[in-house]
Amino acid sequence: MTPALVRTTALARKELAHLRRDPQMLAFALVLPVILLLLFGYAISFDLDRIPLAVVDRDQTAQSRALKQRLTAGKLFVEIARASSTEAVEPLLRRGVARAALVIDADYARHVLRGEPAPVQLILDGADNSTAAVALGYATALARAEIPAPPVLPVEVRARALFNPGLRSAIFILPGLMTFILAMVAVMLTALTVAREYERGSMEQLFATPARRLEIILGKLGPYFVLGLVQVLLVLTVGVALFGLPVRGSLTLLFGVASLFLLAMLGQGLLISVVTRSQMIASQIAVLSTLLPSLLLSGFIFPISNMPLPLRILARIFPASHLVSALRAILLRGNGPAEVASDCVAIAAFFGVALIVTTRRFRRTVGA
Amino acid sequence: MSAPVIEVRRLTRRFGDFTAVDAVEFEVQPGEIFGYLGANGAGKSTTIRMLCGLLAPTEGHATVAGHDIARDPRAVKRAIGYMSQKFSLYLDLTPTENLSFFAGAYGLQGAERRRRVEAALVESELTERRDTLTRDLPGGVRQRLALVSARLHRPQVLFLDEPTAGVAPDARRAFWREIRALARAGTTLFVTTHHLDEAEFCGRVGLMVDGRLVALDTPDGLKKAHVPGVFLSVFAQGGDLREALRGVDGVLGLQPFGRRLRVRMAADAPLAGPEALAAHLRARGIDGVEVERGDASLEDVFLELVRRSEKQEA
Ligand SMILES: Nc1ncnc2c1ncn2[C@@H]1O[C@H](COP(=O)(O)OP(=O)(O)O)[C@@H](O)[C@H]1O
Ligand SMILES: [Mg+2]
Repeated sequence: MTPALVRTTALARKELAHLRRDPQMLAFALVLPVILLLLFGYAISFDLDRIPLAVVDRDQTAQSRALKQRLTAGKLFVEIARASSTEAVEPLLRRGVARAALVIDADYARHVLRGEPAPVQLILDGADNSTAAVALGYATALARAEIPAPPVLPVEVRARALFNPGLRSAIFILPGLMTFILAMVAVMLTALTVAREYERGSMEQLFATPARRLEIILGKLGPYFVLGLVQVLLVLTVGVALFGLPVRGSLTLLFGVASLFLLAMLGQGLLISVVTRSQMIASQIAVLSTLLPSLLLSGFIFPISNMPLPLRILARIFPASHLVSALRAILLRGNGPAEVASDCVAIAAFFGVALIVTTRRFRRTVGA
Repeated sequence: MSAPVIEVRRLTRRFGDFTAVDAVEFEVQPGEIFGYLGANGAGKSTTIRMLCGLLAPTEGHATVAGHDIARDPRAVKRAIGYMSQKFSLYLDLTPTENLSFFAGAYGLQGAERRRRVEAALVESELTERRDTLTRDLPGGVRQRLALVSARLHRPQVLFLDEPTAGVAPDARRAFWREIRALARAGTTLFVTTHHLDEAEFCGRVGLMVDGRLVALDTPDGLKKAHVPGVFLSVFAQGGDLREALRGVDGVLGLQPFGRRLRVRMAADAPLAGPEALAAHLRARGIDGVEVERGDASLEDVFLELVRRSEKQEA
């Protein structure tokens, strides 16, 4: 081995020893992603069906029964109770026994037969507003199939991006979730491990060895890069096994893009720690600087095309949005290198800038 | 005389307007223990950082082991060992892990690395506790381990920045015994400390006050030059000692020391002896007088020099 390689591997081995002594870090890196995946995946795919529904049918006609049947025919609503009045339904909703109530007025059939707007109420548990939004959307769509005018709805809910007509939201959000997990863990662990060297005063001791700056960076961050790749594998495996995530494109391309993204995230973490030099501040900035871009500005939850221009620009600067779109392209659409090239360039640009700023900063303040 | 291992010429480091190290000059010979003394903030660590190639000087030059610190800091780093003031070892790693890491960071590998790590464990009497976390070792043991880990690559020069800060007195003595053994074996040592008693173990001592090297000599030389005369340590049961000493010829300084008063007198003063001074004090009505001959300490030198440099500034 060349001396440079010896020094770099010595640093990497030391990092692994730190990780071994700090199982919380490893848990954060490997267990948390799986938990998040299960939470998000199941919450979204199962919350949106089997919503317990209470029914108040004051009309008791063939038409009113047909409406009720249409609502409960899919897996979205399950009729769990019948009540005679709106008042009787309220306690059910309050106790959470029912999460939605359908109230059909006495003259429903008459209105329908005359082709007039038919008064139907759908009362939804607004506390769980993402479910409410989806349920509302479905119910409206279902009811409209027969009713000419929209039913009267006393709940105010805004339609949200989580609304996903395919009802295959787990698959749709997996790329976003994967991006979020990769970004969070890579930035956080990098920021912490480098800030810790500063806090302990050991960074100066490292600089006093013949190891070059690049060797120190490579040695310290190499293990986290590998850890990130393990996460990609983990998330993919869970996605495919539990949520039927399709992998339509090339795995090599996927790992290539993910590696590039990991590099960018390690660069971001390094930059944060070199500037703050404090584990506490570094971890807070790490959370903020990954949570916002990868959760809110990545197209994971809110479509980027609906954002105001400044946010759209911001979303394009951070690598998260590019990984989300590249992953969707590779996994869901089976796209090849040509389609993800521009995303890769954007991620590489972010990495380049982070690296330049970091090495400047690293150099200027060595030993200070 | 062989060529000096460390040569420092008008070395200066400024942080903004503030001059932390101000045109310092000295040389250190091979196998010498060079003590670098000064209060907190005097500029000791800043000097060491420059000499270790960690911080670029603002002005001046220095060579360490034949390498220019500004032009070739990596050659300097290969030739030296450094124990920084703040860090000693990774507490969450075992002694073995710490040692193999530092060996690797200095480019040692394979069987050679294993051999040196093993020897270092034996030397620091840690073969039994090689897999204990460093956190669980006593402070003195940790300090010794830090010293062997700074020497794994057999550096010509060792820079130790306040190596005994926070170490118990007997562990400190043991540590200094080791440092002297290293010097006898040919290693050059540059040691900073603010424990003035430790400086007595050094071959030569440089005194830093506010970034300037105000004195540089052997401990004895410093005492002769800066606090000449005879030290008499006076104890009395009753009476005003200071009043009784007023007007006595050749008194150069008075300094309370515990329940005693240390009197520094010109060597040729009429009362510059224990018996003569005791007789004088008794004659002035002081009860239960005891006078003993004392020694000048580096503390006296240090106080004198700080006083003088403050006077100069005023
Ligand atoms: N990186 C730095 N930036 C600004 N001031 C510094 C820096 N490093 C040291 N100093 C200042 O230089 C002076 C000397 O510090 P230092 O060499 O650490 O002293 P010592 O080691 O003798 O206690 C102190 O006043 C300290 O605040
Ligand atoms: Mg210091």
